[in-house]
Amino acid sequence: MEIPEQLYYTEDHEWGELADGMMKVGITDYAQHELGDIVFVELAEVGTTVAKGDPIGTVESVKAVSEIYAPVDGEVFEVNGALTDTPELVNQDCYGEAWMVVLKVNDLAQTDTLMDAQAYQAYVEAEAK
Amino acid sequence: MRTPLYHEHEKLGARIVDFHGWEMPVWYTGIREEHLAVRNSAGLFDASHMGEIRVSGNESVPFLNRILTRDVSAMPRNRVLYSFFLNEHGGIIDDLTIYCAEPGESYMLCVNASNTENDLRWVVKQNREHALIEDRSAETALIALQGPDAARILKDYLDFDPDTLKNYTFAILATVQYGDIMISKTGYTGAGGVEIFLPPEKAPDLWSSLVERGARPCGLGARDTLRLEMGYPLHGNDIDETTTPLEAGLNFAVNLDKPEFIGRETLRRQSEQGVSRRLRGLVLKERGVPRQGYACVKDGRQVGMVTSGSVSPLLGTGIALAYLDRTVEEKDEVEIVVRDRHLKSIVVRPPFVKGAGK
Repeated sequence: MEIPEQLYYTEDHEWGELADGMMKVGITDYAQHELGDIVFVELAEVGTTVAKGDPIGTVESVKAVSEIYAPVDGEVFEVNGALTDTPELVNQDCYGEAWMVVLKVNDLAQTDTLMDAQAYQAYVEAEAK
Repeated sequence: MRTPLYHEHEKLGARIVDFHGWEMPVWYTGIREEHLAVRNSAGLFDASHMGEIRVSGNESVPFLNRILTRDVSAMPRNRVLYSFFLNEHGGIIDDLTIYCAEPGESYMLCVNASNTENDLRWVVKQNREHALIEDRSAETALIALQGPDAARILKDYLDFDPDTLKNYTFAILATVQYGDIMISKTGYTGAGGVEIFLPPEKAPDLWSSLVERGARPCGLGARDTLRLEMGYPLHGNDIDETTTPLEAGLNFAVNLDKPEFIGRETLRRQSEQGVSRRLRGLVLKERGVPRQGYACVKDGRQVGMVTSGSVSPLLGTGIALAYLDRTVEEKDEVEIVVRDRHLKSIVVRPPFVKGAGK
């Protein structure tokens, strides 16, 4: 299972990549693997204001419906429209082409509430037991 | 509970889920890949969790004819029929296949895993003819080899060509490796192929031998999307004790000419007066995934409910089975309420895709 070093992680298995006050958000390798074949992705509208934990999208696999939550407070700045037509990208490249939204982060200090790669690794191992 | 193939599934790295108390593989590598393998080449399913009930003795035929919707009296040896146990109100206790081993003497019923216990209780309770009833589930493993390449794989391995069998018939094959095994030209995928009944201790070897010869292991996930593409109902989803075979459009498996069987009165009445709702197919015209329990709306009024839904791996669009009001007809447009959105769909007659391997 892939857990890139430089990313932030949530307990709901989102990842976040911080750059210039923006956070790119997607779901982790563990999440896509747990869900199985992704057949549908629906994302929040650009301009939506969200608090940490608010839904910013829905991912559906053959077997399950799953919400994607904002890792931090912010505003939806950009969404990945490619996932509408090719939801299977989430299974193929969850940390790359299948990013989901970019949030304009309100308070950078809030990233302290997120896990780093090591903490997430431990979290996933505990959850898998 | 575990089937005799549990360790094979583990070895193959299957994702195991609980299915009505059974630890079953839901997928090995992915539902879509497994689904397409069955449509395009060959897939292998562990169906050993299903129940097998043997009914034998002189009283078998009168007994079965009273508790089943089909007429078994004219069944020749090695014939298979699809049928139902109904309750007094015509509701479906279970759907099943009947295998005639010896006309008038010996029959096997293959029933849903989730219903086996309940079915046995029902059958025993109804047995005023005193037929001999045996639960053979623990002594019977079931492997389904399905897909256009299924016949070739079986022929290469066991030197038996299942294409010599007609659909809905079976043969007892004497093999060196496994002793007598029962090969049935049936399935739940619409892709052609066979289902093989054999002793549990022989099942792992047959399973791994067929995998080696190119049959792809498939889990319950693909089994569900395959049957849905064909419009085959799943008991517990699309049919249950609150629905009748006529509402589900399964009239072919009901013989109303038979003077008596449990549930007949309701079905006769429905047949005369028409049913108030029908199980129909829906194809989404927009992106989305219909799922069990979603409402169906037409002209602002709820006209039904989805009982099974998914995205068809073959078509790439959302498909569903739903009970719809009798006023709704084929080709009508119906909205499926997916969360807060109303998605357009068209009423169709399943199958959603063309079956193969007849």
